[in-house]
Amino acid sequence: MSAAVNVEDKLFQNRYKVDHGRPHIQIKDAAICANDCAEQQCTYVCPAACYTAEGNGAVTLITDGCLECGSCRVICTEHTNVAWEYPRGGHGILFKFG
Amino acid sequence: MAEQFDAIVVGAGPSGNAATYTLAKAGLKVLQIERGEYPGSKNVQGAILYAQALEQIIPDFRDDAPLERHIIEQRMWMLDDNSFVGTHYRSDDYNKPPYNRYTIIRAQFDKWFSSKVREAGALLICETTVEHLLLDGDTVVGVHCDRMGGEVRADVVILADGVNSTLARKAGFHGEISSKNVALAVKEILFMPEETIQSRFNIKEDEGVVIELMGTVTEGMVGTGFLYTNKDSLTIGVGCMLSDFKANPKKTTPYALLEKLKRHPSVAPLIEGGEMKEYAAHLIPEGGFNAVPKIFGNGWMIVGDSGGFVNAAHREGSNLAMTTGRLAAETVIAARAAGRPMTARTLKAYKDALDESFVMKDLKKYRNLPDVLEKSPQFFTTYPELVNRAAKTLFTVDGVDKMTKQREITGSFKSARKFTGLVGDAIKLWRATR
Repeated sequence: MSAAVNVEDKLFQNRYKVDHGRPHIQIKDAAICANDCAEQQCTYVCPAACYTAEGNGAVTLITDGCLECGSCRVICTEHTNVAWEYPRGGHGILFKFG
Repeated sequence: MAEQFDAIVVGAGPSGNAATYTLAKAGLKVLQIERGEYPGSKNVQGAILYAQALEQIIPDFRDDAPLERHIIEQRMWMLDDNSFVGTHYRSDDYNKPPYNRYTIIRAQFDKWFSSKVREAGALLICETTVEHLLLDGDTVVGVHCDRMGGEVRADVVILADGVNSTLARKAGFHGEISSKNVALAVKEILFMPEETIQSRFNIKEDEGVVIELMGTVTEGMVGTGFLYTNKDSLTIGVGCMLSDFKANPKKTTPYALLEKLKRHPSVAPLIEGGEMKEYAAHLIPEGGFNAVPKIFGNGWMIVGDSGGFVNAAHREGSNLAMTTGRLAAETVIAARAAGRPMTARTLKAYKDALDESFVMKDLKKYRNLPDVLEKSPQFFTTYPELVNRAAKTLFTVDGVDKMTKQREITGSFKSARKFTGLVGDAIKLWRATR
């Protein structure tokens, strides 16, 4: 895609109750992303851009904008490196319209 | 927590609400657990409500359910980058009550459905996530949640926990979902005045239009887009198989794909000026018949998206969800009346009822479709391009004689797919949908 799309503008419209300090999704072993995963598909498949490919080969995850779809867990089949839970009750995305 | 329930339902979407409502109406002591702040706050759908499935549960739902518009016109568009060829079906018959389907806004609809569930006598607990099932051997005896002292027990647990089906997966009832069996869909809701929607779509108050579209917008991925008219908003979205998103060499993000759809010259004028108020994403289980997991066992049943009950070919899901929820509940009610324990042997009646219903019959009819489409991306790019080119050739008056134009069109189809390819595609599609 040539047209740059700023997903932040989209996520900004959403309502969240962030569970500070308790991310519901975690990368199990950062070294696996950096060394064993060439494609790092989570960095472009995640619809909320929670995963970022850093210049040094690492992948960082910030779950604050997560839409709780589950895609990152489902696509990480080769390495199953995503520890995925729903947020604690009442936390996470709170859809106004759904 | 010592309290014992007749049944626990996990989740307050269409399947969970249908199940809980049916159980509570029959006088059972039911606990429903929802992780959202309120029912609907975690739920995402297009959203079209098919009346029939809800009518079976709440016959007079039209009296007070929050319905946006009843659908009087269905458009199907095949897009290339600059144009579309489409069919529109509009009928005044769809303007005669009782209406067949409606656009809805799920957060409002689910809240309403939930109010009916509570009126029926069920106990609803929100803001509570069920972490795992309580097992005694291979029998589900309750749930463990992140509140209320943790454990709650019941004779039977109905899993209406959505497409990720976290609880059954953790309990080992089935494995991880395959990315080939789910579509990832993203959508936005765009607000604008009612009158603007009505004039743009040639409809009156309460009348609605549905546009389903496919073509080059999905970049060869198996997927479709949609545009629905709500009362004073439009919903626009696009979804493709998750495996295709993952393997797309262009590495296109879902939100870039949505933006591309919004900027399409045939779409942009319809949504112009709309104020975007929410962006959502969701997985849709589209694996069909062959992807439905084991849906019952000792002390448990699976309903709705959690069991993969979506008819992707017809864009139906919530009606299957409500029907599976109702049938699961009726199985429990009948078993109690007969004094039978909630064992797999007893709960097999749920599977039997599903097999007899439209749910499994429809899924069975299209059981080969996901596989055929996966192996035939030409349906989503090549054909829409060819059809649009043919229309342009045919409708552009430029001094070229019609026979030459006809040969050009036939030639474009043959050079893209060869004669054998065209026949093969027709047969494949016919076999998968007959």
